[in-house]
Amino acid sequence: MKYSYIKPRQKSALTFEVKLLFSFFGMTLMMLFLTYGFLLYKDYTFVSDKEEISAKIEMTDKNIEEMKDAIAYIEKQKLLSQKIYTQNTVLKDSITNLFDLVPERITLSEAKLLKNGLILYGITPNKDVYNFMLQAPLRSIFHKTYSSFYPAQNGWLRFVSTNYMDKEEEILEENVDEKD
Amino acid sequence: MKKINLSFTISRQYIYLSLLSLFLLIFVFVFSFAVLIPEGKEYRKNRIEYKKELKELRRFEEFEMQTAQTLKELQSKNRHIISAFDTIFNPERFEKEHKKYFSSLTLSAIKNSAKEDGFAVYEVNTSSKINSPVSFYDFLDALNKSSWIVGVNFPIEFKRDGELIHSSFTMKVYANAKDSNTSKASTSEAK
Repeated sequence: MKYSYIKPRQKSALTFEVKLLFSFFGMTLMMLFLTYGFLLYKDYTFVSDKEEISAKIEMTDKNIEEMKDAIAYIEKQKLLSQKIYTQNTVLKDSITNLFDLVPERITLSEAKLLKNGLILYGITPNKDVYNFMLQAPLRSIFHKTYSSFYPAQNGWLRFVSTNYMDKEEEILEENVDEKD
Repeated sequence: MKKINLSFTISRQYIYLSLLSLFLLIFVFVFSFAVLIPEGKEYRKNRIEYKKELKELRRFEEFEMQTAQTLKELQSKNRHIISAFDTIFNPERFEKEHKKYFSSLTLSAIKNSAKEDGFAVYEVNTSSKINSPVSFYDFLDALNKSSWIVGVNFPIEFKRDGELIHSSFTMKVYANAKDSNTSKASTSEAK
């Protein structure tokens, strides 16, 4: 027995409204998941980039420290070499001054330059020449001056002049000051 | 009079549809507030930290460049000093370089002395003969330009020896502490 004259159409669970709803929520969820995925990816890259940057900073810092050490060492070398060069120059000036100090009438046979003193051996025509022309300037430089004489064969006097300074290297310091 | 029927019926399909929409909407909200927004905050935090680190790296790189520039300038200005400290003392070469100032020059054994300011110091006793003190002054000037860092040390002795002056003094040769200078005796004479 037939109850209807029309042919029944096939019914589906996916009606137009359901499809519309799924498309809307599908797009929304897709956008949400994509955003979430993007954030996760960026977080991962930020973390790995930060680690890389930290490693680079550490390496750069190490390089800087090494260069600083190298700079400090070169400065130290420079300072020491300048000190030695100055000492050599001062020594040259000191020896020049010493030989300039000796008058023509007095002849030196030996000179010993010590760290804090000077010992001169020589020959002088008489004591007065020695006292006025050599001992006087020596006394103005050194704190302690001792002289001893003994006769030479030609009637002149051989002398030994021993001169000391209280402070070491005072000659050098004075000469440095003069140079400055 | 006709009676108006105000009641309306909602089909079961629409009720399911509404419930599904509500469920999906709740899911979207929960996902957004519970997952997406905290993750977004984390992203912002990480981005700020990343930029901060990047800025710090730029600062370090800039300072590294400046330091490298300073080092380069210092090295180029003090090339002679640096190489002089690196050069191992060679008595034969020293004599060859400086014998023109002396009638004779003799260097005795190289003694390994104590360290000074972190540098190795070697003592060399020198015995020489000069025509006049001027030669010695020239020698002292030349020392400051030699291939080594050499300082003449006290005591210095000058003694008349006929027409010549016999001089004896100690020299201190300064080198880098890592220097492999040995203390073996090396005596030679240059005439």
